[in-house]
Amino acid sequence: MDPDTDTKTMADEDEPLFSNLDLFLFSLIVGLVIYWFMSRKKPEPIPEFKKLEIIAPTTRETSFIEKMKKTGKNIIVFYGSQTGTAEEFANRLSKDAQRYGMKGMAADPEEYDMGELSRLSEIKNSLAIFCMATYGEGDPTDNAQDFYDWLQENDDEDLSGLNFTVFSLGNKTYEHYNAMGKYVDKRLEELGAKRIFDLGLGDDDGNLEEDFVSWREQFWPAVCEHFGVEALGDDSSIRQYELKEHTDINMNKVFTGEIGRLKSFEVQKPPYDSKNPFLAPVTVNRKLNKGGQRHLMHLELDISGSKIRYESGDHVAVFPTNDAALVNKLGQVLGVDLDVVISLNNLDEESNKKHPFPCPTTYRTALTHYLDITHPPRTNVLYELAQYASDPQEQENMRKMASSSAQGKALYQSWVLEPCRNILAILEDMPSLKPPIDHLCELLPRLQARYYSIASSSKVHPNSIHICAVVVEYKTKTNRINKGVATNWLKNKLVTDNGHKSTVPMYIRKSQFRLPFKASVPVIMIGPGTGIAPFMGFIQERGWLKQQGKEVGETLLFCGCRHKNEDYLYQEELEEAEKNEVLTRLNVAFSRDQEHKVYVQHLMKKNKEDIWKLIHSENAHIYICGDARNMAKDVQTAFYEIAEDVEGMTRTQATDYIKKLMTKGRYSQDVWS
Amino acid sequence: MATTTESVSNGGGPVHEDKGETLRPDDLSEMLAAGTKDVHEKAENTQFVKDFLRGRIRRELFKLGAVALYYTYTAMEEEIEINKDHPHFAPLYFPSELHRHEALARDLEYFYGPEWKREISCSPATQRYVDRIHQVGQEYPALLVAHAYTRYMGDLSGGQVLKKVAQRALKLPPTGEGVEFYQFDAIDSAKAFKQLYRSRMNELELDAETKSSLVDEAVKAFQFNMEVFEELEEIGKTFQEEVSEDGMPIHGDTGGDISKCPYYASKMAASGGMAYACQLAMAILRHPTGQVLIATWFAVLAGLVAWYLM
Repeated sequence: MDPDTDTKTMADEDEPLFSNLDLFLFSLIVGLVIYWFMSRKKPEPIPEFKKLEIIAPTTRETSFIEKMKKTGKNIIVFYGSQTGTAEEFANRLSKDAQRYGMKGMAADPEEYDMGELSRLSEIKNSLAIFCMATYGEGDPTDNAQDFYDWLQENDDEDLSGLNFTVFSLGNKTYEHYNAMGKYVDKRLEELGAKRIFDLGLGDDDGNLEEDFVSWREQFWPAVCEHFGVEALGDDSSIRQYELKEHTDINMNKVFTGEIGRLKSFEVQKPPYDSKNPFLAPVTVNRKLNKGGQRHLMHLELDISGSKIRYESGDHVAVFPTNDAALVNKLGQVLGVDLDVVISLNNLDEESNKKHPFPCPTTYRTALTHYLDITHPPRTNVLYELAQYASDPQEQENMRKMASSSAQGKALYQSWVLEPCRNILAILEDMPSLKPPIDHLCELLPRLQARYYSIASSSKVHPNSIHICAVVVEYKTKTNRINKGVATNWLKNKLVTDNGHKSTVPMYIRKSQFRLPFKASVPVIMIGPGTGIAPFMGFIQERGWLKQQGKEVGETLLFCGCRHKNEDYLYQEELEEAEKNEVLTRLNVAFSRDQEHKVYVQHLMKKNKEDIWKLIHSENAHIYICGDARNMAKDVQTAFYEIAEDVEGMTRTQATDYIKKLMTKGRYSQDVWS
Repeated sequence: MATTTESVSNGGGPVHEDKGETLRPDDLSEMLAAGTKDVHEKAENTQFVKDFLRGRIRRELFKLGAVALYYTYTAMEEEIEINKDHPHFAPLYFPSELHRHEALARDLEYFYGPEWKREISCSPATQRYVDRIHQVGQEYPALLVAHAYTRYMGDLSGGQVLKKVAQRALKLPPTGEGVEFYQFDAIDSAKAFKQLYRSRMNELELDAETKSSLVDEAVKAFQFNMEVFEELEEIGKTFQEEVSEDGMPIHGDTGGDISKCPYYASKMAASGGMAYACQLAMAILRHPTGQVLIATWFAVLAGLVAWYLM
């Protein structure tokens, strides 16, 4: 044996079984094998596919009747929707149904055979609700086109077994306002269907959500009445909020009338708006009229230091409180301690609205600052309170007034609306009605801010906001005295009250009621009664511009009151303005100073040539302020008559002319009803 | 000329011949309405707008649209501020009622997060629009009205419809985040405001030639807007996304992040490539079972090494 091989063998014995290279190759193979197994077993080692739900169109139910029968639904809500709003409303309505012991489903008319509508009679207590939006020029939405065509074409369709109601979605700025909804409502009736509740009209230019909620609140009680169905649960009616009484609470955490943030009335921070009003001290509060029964007043609010700015024509919003005597009486009639600290917490935890009003607070604060207790309660309130009337006749009457039957509506009209019964009156006149106060607080609407046209110009009074208002007070058919909330509250805001300054929580709401940009443009202002308010601001501003050396155009005022010696508002200021030629012409109508009534429109007609010249040849802007119901219409008619008399237009031409002035912003209205 | 009974819309209206004068056809508001009628219809009928109205708007595209609006309104409101006392613009100066750039900034913050300013950039079509606005503001301020009219009046009209569509299509919160651009908090009634705006336009003292140029500029403004829409449309095509039957894009869940799209990933896989292999490796490492196997392999390897060393 030679030594090398020996060494080699010995070295061999000392060496491991596998060489480095073997090891490496082995691991590599193992690794590749593992990899190969893995890639075989795993379909795709990439973030997982979520199984997509493809709506299988193969076996879709096109019969809504069959679907309703299968799923036990008696209410179907069809929606004509382009942007999803009507669809959303339909979904909400179908969910509502269960509160009333019924079952609803929302449906797209494009997906079902609408020819089956007459078959709804096969289902007990069935009801079809239509949420129809109007699109474009009074057209149906895309998904309602087929339904629309079907309605038009089938004159001999008999829908006598169909109970229906329509809520229509539209926008007043468009010519064919709510055309589709109105059409469906009319047509279904023509084809023999039975209308269960009045057509609801929603205006997206105003507040569509509010219109919908109002309509729906009245709608469901009417449905229940119609089908003789009771709202689910007699003692456990559908409460939205749960009462919590606080026995031991830090009074610093309790709301005492603030609208938004706790203590926001103690520690005031700008900017001031609807959620954070400014407490403006009252510097002037005087009676404007010299005689007569009414009380007309002029108030001035100091806004120094608030950084609040306004322009003449804007509105001041104030947060009034209810009369303390009224609140006390409510407490007595309900037999409760009003000073208990409570919270009402929303049972729906998903909801954004945790409480109906700032909580925790006392019942007294809620009834004084947060709740409306003076307007006649709406029908849905009566419906929900009915369960608390132990006398069967009273209970029946309450329910009936909430229904949409002709008899029910008439009763509501004659017993609630005409005699102006507020909640206290109803409780007093229905002695067996004893609702729990917390449920009542849930049902009563929120106390709204009131708006007044500002009667001053910020150029002349940058730190002061003037208000001109008439106190509302009247006797009702039941011999009660009803008082306007805000006007009585303002009347009692004396400049100094036991050494304190009275304050008014307020903010400015910008309006579009504005003087022309150029002072040289002539203006015609028509504002009888308290409608004169914004024009005091306009006149002050034109006077200021004149003082600044600007060329000021003609400034005409038509205002009015009942008796020259009694309620000629701002007589001194106005006569002064005319003397200084700030007011080109002051025309005051004293309606009751003679046998026949004389109103602003009569004075306008006397000046028809001048008025027409200003409008037609000198680009004058027209402003109307005051009562919407009668005065505004009468004044508009007077303008038509002037156009007819002086220019020889026909009524149609005159109407178009005025309409055009409105579009071009030369005929503005600040009117209230 | 027969009396027309056309519906009154947007400043236009029936023109009739009465005894004597016609109804001031030189009112700027009417000239603008008439002069832009055709181009307005065209803009309404672009693919982008039509799709949008049907709820066919992908989040990424909507965001890019908001970015374009931000640059546009920032430029316009900048020029408006500079020219607020210029006699040819002053009557139309309504900053608290109209100005949008702050609302748009809030929308962009909602979509892109707090570093939104660094994430956005101005696209070519938007830049051309912005340049024109600056040019007009500096050289010919009377024409600034044309741009303000085209945008703001539109926002107060059809713009309100777009808000609802966007909220629904993109599942935006009902509290208004993401669409604050469409909310005019200081305007109670869009209708009343438009009427006031028209009266102010008509108060501008402009000669016939300037008014005519103004109308032309408004038409140009519409065209700039349409170019932005077209640009967005083109960008949209490169997303390669599909839209399902009911108009909802499949990628709603991924929040528009394309790398999370399984379809996209599998497409990439099909086309192969190093990127895929790397992605695969990363995926293996991310996946727990993969991690176990790798660990096992290393353990085996370590075992063998240890054995070797012993």
